[in-house]
Amino acid sequence: MGFLEKQTDPTSPMHWRGDMQADYFYPSGIAGDKFFKHLMEKDTLLATKCKTCNKILFPPRLYCEDCFEEIPEEDWMEVPASGKVKLFTKATINAHGVKMEEPKVIALIDIDNTDGAMLGIIKTNELDKDFSGVKVKAVLRPKGNREGTLKDILYWQVI
Amino acid sequence: MVEKKDYKEWPPYAPGTHVRESDIREKKITYSWWEPEVQYSWSVGHAMSKFLQGLKDGKLYGIHCKPCKRVIVPPRMFCEYCFGPTEEWVELKDTGEIETFSISYLDADARRIEEPILVGVVSIDGAYPKPMGFMHYFGEMTKDEIKIGMKVKAVWKPENEREGSITDIKYFKPLKGGSE
Repeated sequence: MGFLEKQTDPTSPMHWRGDMQADYFYPSGIAGDKFFKHLMEKDTLLATKCKTCNKILFPPRLYCEDCFEEIPEEDWMEVPASGKVKLFTKATINAHGVKMEEPKVIALIDIDNTDGAMLGIIKTNELDKDFSGVKVKAVLRPKGNREGTLKDILYWQVI
Repeated sequence: MVEKKDYKEWPPYAPGTHVRESDIREKKITYSWWEPEVQYSWSVGHAMSKFLQGLKDGKLYGIHCKPCKRVIVPPRMFCEYCFGPTEEWVELKDTGEIETFSISYLDADARRIEEPILVGVVSIDGAYPKPMGFMHYFGEMTKDEIKIGMKVKAVWKPENEREGSITDIKYFKPLKGGSE
């Protein structure tokens, strides 16, 4: 076959097949490590307090993101694993774009006693309910089975 | 109000926290790990198809650009000098000359090795103008023996192990006396 001929069969040239190893490794970091190790042992969450801005940062951070002040060890605090739904959505397809048998309610939850929030799944049968402002609490994996990732929070339950 | 700290050096020295392999294995740190499925199928094109199929049969193919008087290897469907289509396939000998070389104490995975590997570019006999050829390993010679201009010959894998890859040639060995 020459350069000026038209190619009609895309399978005719040789193909080089491969499997790229692209493992993704993400350490939690210093503050994250502390947070997850606490979550493995206890049923509460950790937050940090910036005394300069008088703000309670959640997820906990080593530096205040507003004033960049370093947060000392003694300003770490325990907060309950509960909160109020700030925003929510009903997901009907999964991460691969495939329709799920049971839709999931995904919510941004304002964590109690803090100025921060986190995403979570609300386990419920009432899929069409308005969850705004509803109080929820985290349901964690049984102690001993926890692996130190966000998956240790199985779901959030309406109180 | 944030006070500016009195740093002795600027930017301040930040040692960071190093993660060691043992920290991961012994679960000393928490982390997320994910292995995506990333498969690819890369079409090598018509010229390279012919070249790689040729390797499977133990042959080296070049391609002739008549206006520029070039025999190109690895072959391409067009000449990058005149942009004209290349026309005629040429079977080349599996001998050549070392054009450049490198003595590497790192292997293909960048691990440090005791015995260096020899890599470099071979100008294939019958392909021109020089330098015209490709990169490969050199073998059956030491790091002290290898030199530029040395005549070399391909050492092929056994026929049943060839798969249409550049590694169907294991390496190039010295060609004693300048001919077979």
